[in-house]
Amino acid sequence: METTLDLDTEQVLAQFRQGQLTEAGLRQALDRPQPAAQRQDLLYLQATSTSLVASILGMTLVQAGQIAGPVTGGAEWPYANVLEAIRDGWRVIKFPELVLLLVEERTISLGCEFILEKWS
Amino acid sequence: MRTYDCKPTLNDTQVLEFCKNGFLMLDGVVPDAVNRRMLDYIEAHPTSEPTDILLEDWFVQNVITPPAVAGAVRALLGPNFALPNLMSNHRVQCPQPAQQWHRDGGSQHSPRLNYLQVFYLPQECTLESGPTELLPGSHFIYSTARHMAHYGQLRGTYYAAASAGSVFLTVYSVWHRRSASTTTGLRNLLKYNYWRTTAPARNWIEEPGFNAKAADYRMEKPVMREQFQDCYDSAEMYFWLCGQTESFHLMGGQGWPIPASTWLDGVYGYPGEPTSLRD
Repeated sequence: METTLDLDTEQVLAQFRQGQLTEAGLRQALDRPQPAAQRQDLLYLQATSTSLVASILGMTLVQAGQIAGPVTGGAEWPYANVLEAIRDGWRVIKFPELVLLLVEERTISLGCEFILEKWS
Repeated sequence: MRTYDCKPTLNDTQVLEFCKNGFLMLDGVVPDAVNRRMLDYIEAHPTSEPTDILLEDWFVQNVITPPAVAGAVRALLGPNFALPNLMSNHRVQCPQPAQQWHRDGGSQHSPRLNYLQVFYLPQECTLESGPTELLPGSHFIYSTARHMAHYGQLRGTYYAAASAGSVFLTVYSVWHRRSASTTTGLRNLLKYNYWRTTAPARNWIEEPGFNAKAADYRMEKPVMREQFQDCYDSAEMYFWLCGQTESFHLMGGQGWPIPASTWLDGVYGYPGEPTSLRD
């Protein structure tokens, strides 16, 4: 997918090839604001099972380089399950570690953890 | 070793609730005058280990061994339990973000209860002043502190917000953290252990009508274990406390102690009964 930066660069190159690139045009191209570097947002969701529609037991959100504070005041958590987060543009980058779920009598951690990312 | 004995103050249901949740709050059991004296003491001794306070009679009588506290400890640890021999003070300048989830180093995950980790709040702790947040039932969930440090907001947690003079008893391995605070000022939280010196036995207050076969071993939701595992875990710990761990047995299937209310001829599989013998 082309970004705005790519299109602007192509326009400038086209003007150059056609001999239409002026000093003012070159200066404008050089001075244009650069887009901010993208940052990885992370969403840890601990679910009741490996199902994508299992209810969420725990959540940690890392957004814009900060660990987000808790949802307070009776507000709803942003997603009821992993599928809702996917529909909102989050990409799963780690599925639950199934080895943690193999022994019924011994519960190990909050075993069904999905880790998702977004770039912003 | 300094030991203590007194009458137990918890009954069967309260002991079982402790097994399920892994903690018990005793709200406002220390008098205000003692709380104020305690705050004066820790202002004069602002160390993270004010262990010498355990040599002060007024402190031992009013915080370590008052009937409400010592009676609960006696119920859970049996007679002649050993008194704390180390005192920690979690002294926090508020406001602070939430601490990482953890269980303290030295945790052993099993149905055994050979010591209690106890916290004393000498000052009121509101939701805004960062009370300890506990995850009920987590003493049955094995994890290392290193593996739970990334956990954030969890459903079903309990905030130990309480009035001044409150004491709460915990299973050592229960997951906990200091929650976020928005107030200003110092928050003090004293922490210490009591120790079992005798074999476990059902020598707390026997509750008329309590029936271990029909008791409700379920956790309140959310339960973060396999279906019925909360019942199995709580029942096993209760049996251990009763000194009956050798007879503890799970039949599986629809057998005891899974929850239901309409058994025909009663639940099968209770330890010691013929239906539990399948091998």
